[in-house]
Amino acid sequence: MSRRYDSRTTIFSPEGRLYQIEYAMEAISHAGTVLGVLAKDGVVLAAEKKVTGKLLDLSGAKEGGYGGSGEKIFLLNSNVIGGVAGLTADANSLINYARSAAQQHLLQYNEDIPVELLAQRLCDMKQGYTQYGGLRPFGVSLLYAGFDQQHQFQLYHSDPSGNYSGWKATCIGANNGTAQSLLKQEYKDDIEVKAAISLVLKTMSKTMDSTTLGSEKLEFAVITLDPETNLPKAKIYKPDEIDELLQAEGLSKKEDDNAMKS
Amino acid sequence: MNSIANRFATTGPIRELKKAQTRVEDDEFSDSVWGSEAGFGSLAKGVPNFTVPSVPDPSSFLRLHTDDFADPNCRIKIQHGTTTLAFRFQGGVIVAVDSRATAGSYVASGTVKKVIEINPYLLGTMAGGAADCQYWETYLGIHCRLHELRNRERISVSAASKYLSNLVYSYKGMGLSMGTMICGWDKTGPAVFYVDSDGTRLKGDLFSVGSGSTFAYGVLDQGYRWDLTDEEAQELGRRSIYAAGHRDAFSGNTCNLYQVKEDGWKFIGNYDISKLHYDGPGETPGAGYGYDIRIERTAAPIAVQA
Amino acid sequence: METSFALTGKGYVIVASDTTAARSIVKMKTDEDKIKVVSPHLLMSYSGEPGDTIQFAEYVERNLRLFHIRNNYSLRPSAAASWIRRSLAQSLRSRKPYSVNLMLGGYDVTIDSPHLYWIDYLGTMTEVPFGAHGYGSYFALSLLDRYHDPEATLQEGLATLKRCIDEVAKRLVVSPGKYKVKVVDKDGAREIEL
Repeated sequence: MSRRYDSRTTIFSPEGRLYQIEYAMEAISHAGTVLGVLAKDGVVLAAEKKVTGKLLDLSGAKEGGYGGSGEKIFLLNSNVIGGVAGLTADANSLINYARSAAQQHLLQYNEDIPVELLAQRLCDMKQGYTQYGGLRPFGVSLLYAGFDQQHQFQLYHSDPSGNYSGWKATCIGANNGTAQSLLKQEYKDDIEVKAAISLVLKTMSKTMDSTTLGSEKLEFAVITLDPETNLPKAKIYKPDEIDELLQAEGLSKKEDDNAMKS
Repeated sequence: MNSIANRFATTGPIRELKKAQTRVEDDEFSDSVWGSEAGFGSLAKGVPNFTVPSVPDPSSFLRLHTDDFADPNCRIKIQHGTTTLAFRFQGGVIVAVDSRATAGSYVASGTVKKVIEINPYLLGTMAGGAADCQYWETYLGIHCRLHELRNRERISVSAASKYLSNLVYSYKGMGLSMGTMICGWDKTGPAVFYVDSDGTRLKGDLFSVGSGSTFAYGVLDQGYRWDLTDEEAQELGRRSIYAAGHRDAFSGNTCNLYQVKEDGWKFIGNYDISKLHYDGPGETPGAGYGYDIRIERTAAPIAVQA
Repeated sequence: METSFALTGKGYVIVASDTTAARSIVKMKTDEDKIKVVSPHLLMSYSGEPGDTIQFAEYVERNLRLFHIRNNYSLRPSAAASWIRRSLAQSLRSRKPYSVNLMLGGYDVTIDSPHLYWIDYLGTMTEVPFGAHGYGSYFALSLLDRYHDPEATLQEGLATLKRCIDEVAKRLVVSPGKYKVKVVDKDGAREIEL
């Protein structure tokens, strides 16, 4: 019965649903987890990478660039980092759009784009794909972690329907239900970045499929204020920085694990 | 065979029909679908489309053919010299104008109606291009009526003048020449707005426009008070137009006088400026506005009594 | 001749503009307000080509309002100034450019500081402690170089403005009569009687 209504994104089913949108959201709930926590003095983002393996060439991510392997976490503008869950190819197109939108704002107003405005820009586009015929919605959810003068640090989430909302801590992708209930228990309103980093890593370690964390399965980023310039500073961790961090947090895999793998 | 011929023909009725159909189809998702035209069709679009001469600068093109000063042999001479005035006072609005139309140095007419009766509550004056004023103020009248029909109330003078000002602004630089006062009575009471083809729009108590305006101001400013009586105000308007008609070569012939009150405008009268000079508005010889006449009168006051 | 001044002080910006509307040699009006409050903490004085001035000012006013409605916050003075400059620069390259000169005074509530921008019809923009447009600027700029104090109180600022107005009245051949003065500070914009 539903067959007739799920092939077109723009057609409502008799129950008033848009199946293609729901399928897109379903696709996302199988994607690698992305987790964000808003702290008083910054925002922390972590993501689980799905594309891994010994033969994957990650030398590009080790040095150069702005950090990150380019699968889950991206720099959208100097004041916003984005985490994506869903179809990576779709995400690339959205990220490109987000970066252009941020630059356009800079060109017009000579200021960094406010985080919510950037989320709105993307959502306006995503919404369009739920209405116009012959187009498939973006199979992507995003987390936006950023800073602007108006509302300081912020964390937003947007889904394929074009809805967006602000969060203190949230999670998208696989096991997001588990992660969210963990975050709900652990989150404190006056949390600081240092504690937020621990919280994020602890939650990630509990929700990810593998029992131990390592840079080959994890992307990590933090946005804070540079104490010298008082401007937002986005830091996306490089693989060895992630391992270092995990070591410090005591979540690193044991040496013999590595030995067994090789 | 015929059908094939029709399909490939570039002219002919069938082709025209096809064109019309595509036009309709193209329009399917135009503004009218979303209601912004509100079913008013092309009138709601505000400005009718004019064909502008396809030259880089339409106004200099126009000037080339109309500037009498630069080229006395130019083919088109636009009516220019004028004196118009309007002022607000306790009893409403007085509107007074002269009636001379000049084309170059030639007096083309002495009986021009320079007050345009937009509707029973709105008057517009005419200075600059006579055709421009007549056309656009009549057009304004259409929209004032449409406003009434749509909103079940009369348009305010402010809104009407803003409509005209936006309209002429959209033609800025293309050679329109208008200097007009939109006068009327609305919920706020008597109102006068000055609107010109530069796009300027000013709210005020007292304006005068045209080549004779400086002469009119000289009399008007000195005699103006808010609490003039109706008779005093009419006399002031008449006398100011006389002054301009007397001193400005491009103004004169007769003076048309109007007053706007709460129940709409009323035509007061048409006065011959020569007669005003010698006899004044009444039928008393020697009671004229003219300097010599006035001086003679003060020298021999008995003559006036007679 | 059209003249406008603006100057900053401790926590405020004063913007002043003459009030005459002239057409050739005739003053059509002597109490025209040529300073618009374009958003709660932003003042804009405008002068230049008749018609263009008011049309552009209203265009700016409506667009800033639209931004506020869409995004639930007002553009900061620096962002608004950038947008306005850009609009003018785009207009300059169109078939019919706006010939409008502006002084934009605003109070940035997010960082608690006053800002003043000088913008001309070519799309030149610069942030200044004080500025002027029109013939008055030839007298006022040197005067302000000498007397302006960015830390002055509102009283002192208005006194400096008075100096500018008096100097122009004294030396300029066709000096404007009356001025309208507005000030913007942390409490928003308001008009001031000199």
